[in-house]
Amino acid sequence: MEHPLIDLVNISKTFDNTMVLDDLCLSVKENTFVTLLGPSGCGKTTPLRIIGGFEKPDTGKVIFDGQDITNLPPNKRQLNTVFQKYALFTHMTIAENIAFGLKIKNKPKAYIDDKIKYALKLVNLDGFENRSVASLSGGQQQRIAIARAIVNEPRVLLLDEPLGALDLKLRQDMQYELIRLKNELGITFIYVTHDQEEALTMSDTIVVMNQGYIQQMGSPEQIYNEPENAFVADFIGESNIVPGTMIRDELVEIFGARFACVDKGFGVNRPVDVVIRPEDIDLVEPEKGTLTGVCTHLIFKGVHYEMEVTTPDGFEWLVHSTDMCPVGKQVGIHVDPFDIQIMNKPESEDEEAVGVNE
Amino acid sequence: MNDSKLKRFFQDFYLVFVLIFLYAPILTMMVLSFNSSKSRTDWGGFTLDWYRQMFQSSSIMDALYNTLLIAFISALAATILGTVAAIGINQMKRLPRSIAMGVNNIPMLNSEIVTGISLMLAFLAFGISLGFKTILLSHITFCVPYVILSVMPKLKQTSRYTYEAAMDLGAGPVEAFFKVVLPDIMPGVLSGFLLAFTMSLDDFIITHFTRGAGINTLSTLIYSEVRRGIKPSMYALSTIIFLTVLALLLITNFSPEKSPASGEKEKAGRSRRETARRILLVAASFCVIAAVSFTTYSHYAAARSNELYVYNWGEYIDETVIEDFEKETGIHVIYDLFETNEEMYPVIEAGGVAYDAVCPSDYMIQKMIENDLLAEINFDNIPNISQIDPEYMERSRSFDPENRYSVPYTWGTVGILYNDKLVEKLGAEPPDSWMDLWDEKFSGEILMQDSVRDAFMCALKGLGYSLNSTDPDELNQAKDLLIRQKPLIQAYVIDQVRDKMLGGEAAVGVIYSGEMLYLQELAEGKDFNLEYVIPKEGTNLWIDSWVIPKNAKNKENAEKWIDFLCRPDIAKRNFEYITYATPNRGAFEMLDEELQQNKAVFPDWDSLTNAEVYRYLGDEADSIYNELWKEVKSN
Repeated sequence: MEHPLIDLVNISKTFDNTMVLDDLCLSVKENTFVTLLGPSGCGKTTPLRIIGGFEKPDTGKVIFDGQDITNLPPNKRQLNTVFQKYALFTHMTIAENIAFGLKIKNKPKAYIDDKIKYALKLVNLDGFENRSVASLSGGQQQRIAIARAIVNEPRVLLLDEPLGALDLKLRQDMQYELIRLKNELGITFIYVTHDQEEALTMSDTIVVMNQGYIQQMGSPEQIYNEPENAFVADFIGESNIVPGTMIRDELVEIFGARFACVDKGFGVNRPVDVVIRPEDIDLVEPEKGTLTGVCTHLIFKGVHYEMEVTTPDGFEWLVHSTDMCPVGKQVGIHVDPFDIQIMNKPESEDEEAVGVNE
Repeated sequence: MNDSKLKRFFQDFYLVFVLIFLYAPILTMMVLSFNSSKSRTDWGGFTLDWYRQMFQSSSIMDALYNTLLIAFISALAATILGTVAAIGINQMKRLPRSIAMGVNNIPMLNSEIVTGISLMLAFLAFGISLGFKTILLSHITFCVPYVILSVMPKLKQTSRYTYEAAMDLGAGPVEAFFKVVLPDIMPGVLSGFLLAFTMSLDDFIITHFTRGAGINTLSTLIYSEVRRGIKPSMYALSTIIFLTVLALLLITNFSPEKSPASGEKEKAGRSRRETARRILLVAASFCVIAAVSFTTYSHYAAARSNELYVYNWGEYIDETVIEDFEKETGIHVIYDLFETNEEMYPVIEAGGVAYDAVCPSDYMIQKMIENDLLAEINFDNIPNISQIDPEYMERSRSFDPENRYSVPYTWGTVGILYNDKLVEKLGAEPPDSWMDLWDEKFSGEILMQDSVRDAFMCALKGLGYSLNSTDPDELNQAKDLLIRQKPLIQAYVIDQVRDKMLGGEAAVGVIYSGEMLYLQELAEGKDFNLEYVIPKEGTNLWIDSWVIPKNAKNKENAEKWIDFLCRPDIAKRNFEYITYATPNRGAFEMLDEELQQNKAVFPDWDSLTNAEVYRYLGDEADSIYNELWKEVKSN
């Protein structure tokens, strides 16, 4: 296995008697876009701040390129951070902001000027050198913050919810910008967000976190299509999570109806959780469905309709479809075997939070 | 249409009204600073004399220098301390932070007098002698909380991420602070500095308690002059200070505004402002450094081991006399001011500063003798004592029975001042008795002295008792008399008697004779005369004398000083400056005949047969007086 650029080894961190990270292990390979994803307060920012050097872990080590940097102050680390609130220096011009790190390192003036030009071009803000911070929009400020970080040629760029304060359109544009930047610069990005769409769009690897534990780690497709537990399934996208029983390999029973699936190895007659994405449910004639129910809710969402179908057992299935089904109509529910994701039922809270180490 | 005009008119009227309300007092002071007459009501013509006097007066210039230096250093120190403290507090967790801020706020809400007294006690307890450095320390102490309060909000506004961002970009903690955090909170730091500077500039109470001998700031200097009326050169100084502040405000407000336009223009504007600010700062620091080095130099030049600590009333000597004394004897005089006997006494009693020569009044000298605070004067060292009229030495025996402790300096009487035209108009006879102050004809035309002993003196003398009476029955009668008088009198006042009488606002007033020369001079050319009469029942004859405290360190110098002041030419100069009667026969003989004949200043001894000197009555009698006085005032 290729040796990782950053290795967090058994990191624990407690703030005011609250355990934020518990024995966390995480490896980041060079030149990847890794996203730490989770709801707010799940402890996803803390690993970033530990890597940046702004917090010291209570236990555990931070290994950077084979060296232990746990006790190295932030100014001695070969990485840069883009902060959530940009943290631009308001008393300096844009050029002075970008030049800050280079001036500290006593780079020659010509080099600095070149770098400023290059960085502004990279973030599509040519000619902004002498503007003041206050005259920039949020998106522009964010791009300056990125420019200020990358001129230092860090090996890793840490981004702490950098798009959180931007509006939707700008956020989407910036997502593409970031992907482009990452490809052009060829450096490692570690990105923190609570926005699953952002994570899915940009990342090579997503690390889903909750309550100080890693819930699941994998590619966006894996995370979305094969959630390993109910938390991940629920947090990433919308889904129907229903209790079921694994009759045998490749056959699961839900509310008394049997569905063919592709999962194996869960044993016989084991209770499981079944995840079915709303767009994977096909509404068919009642007699053709595996289950039948009544459409109880209908909203037009633009790309698709959002509907709720209530089955006799009282469960409300969330269904996304480009075909409309009027409220009150009796429908059948059909799901293709490969669209059914089977998960182990957690026996306790602890088991729900699984530490994953690749 | 009409409506809106009316509305407009009222708007303008209101604005003008508010402006007048705010600025009329300052304008009055500025006008008076150019008034050649010392009066506060009469315009005597335009003059710049007060400005000249101000610049020539070493006491005012010293005080100004002290004030500015203390304000600058204490503001600077408080700003540094306060900013560092604010940063520390800001890093704390919520609970300790609110506790720290609470602790910080207490000194600001605390009464200044408590702060002042506790600082003084702390200095004395730790054996730090009071002086320049104690004022400085005190000012730093009380300014720090204000700096913290003004820096704190800026720190809260500043994202803590900017500091982290600077660290992230390679700056060490110190570099990150100076390059990023400090510029961010600079407005707060600057306003903290200015706040501290003005607080220090204005402070009186704390300075009053923590200053030592021979050092005055403007506030304590002005306060020490209250007894004799504030000199117009103080108006001149205040005018200059006000105009300076105004100019500074105008400069800051009309400096190039930040333009909303982007690009080069903004940068240019910014750097222009930056340059202007830098020049201002450099100029200010240059002035301060120049002032410091100049005065340090002159202080060093003057500093000698041969010293004399003098403690006198404000405005109670011709300043050139001090200079001449220094020149003649080579003794360096540290000259300090008090403004009431009651203020002077505890200072001498505490002995925090060892004064060599003090000038209290009669009854206070008696109290000091009784409490063993005074040293016997060696009259062999004071040959000029022969110049003092023996009559005054005799009178002094009432408080200094064997003439061993005091040498008379000035004296005077308390009498009735009347406006001859007004008295005539009211159909009354010119007053010659204290009881005339109870004459219904003078209803609403009487001014009484707002001081317990003086008010009771009028009543006691009017009743034919001693003004030093401690007989409860006599005192009660006096009290009843004063209460009976209350509907008749216009007001209880102190030095407004002067101005009110000059303005023709009252017909009769109780006044100290020391004001007479000056008053009569001002009344010239008016259509009435102000006459002074010593009531036939007798009055208070007061004497201010020089004494030497027991803990004096330079007793021989003090004796040289007293002897010097007894020299006729010197006594004459002082008389001409102070205008209070001199007991110096040699000086008296050198005066113009007209002055010698002025019965208001130098009354015949026959008219003083019933006059008495105030004596110290003891704490018990004091409190009886005060109780009865309270009854009179509240009735």
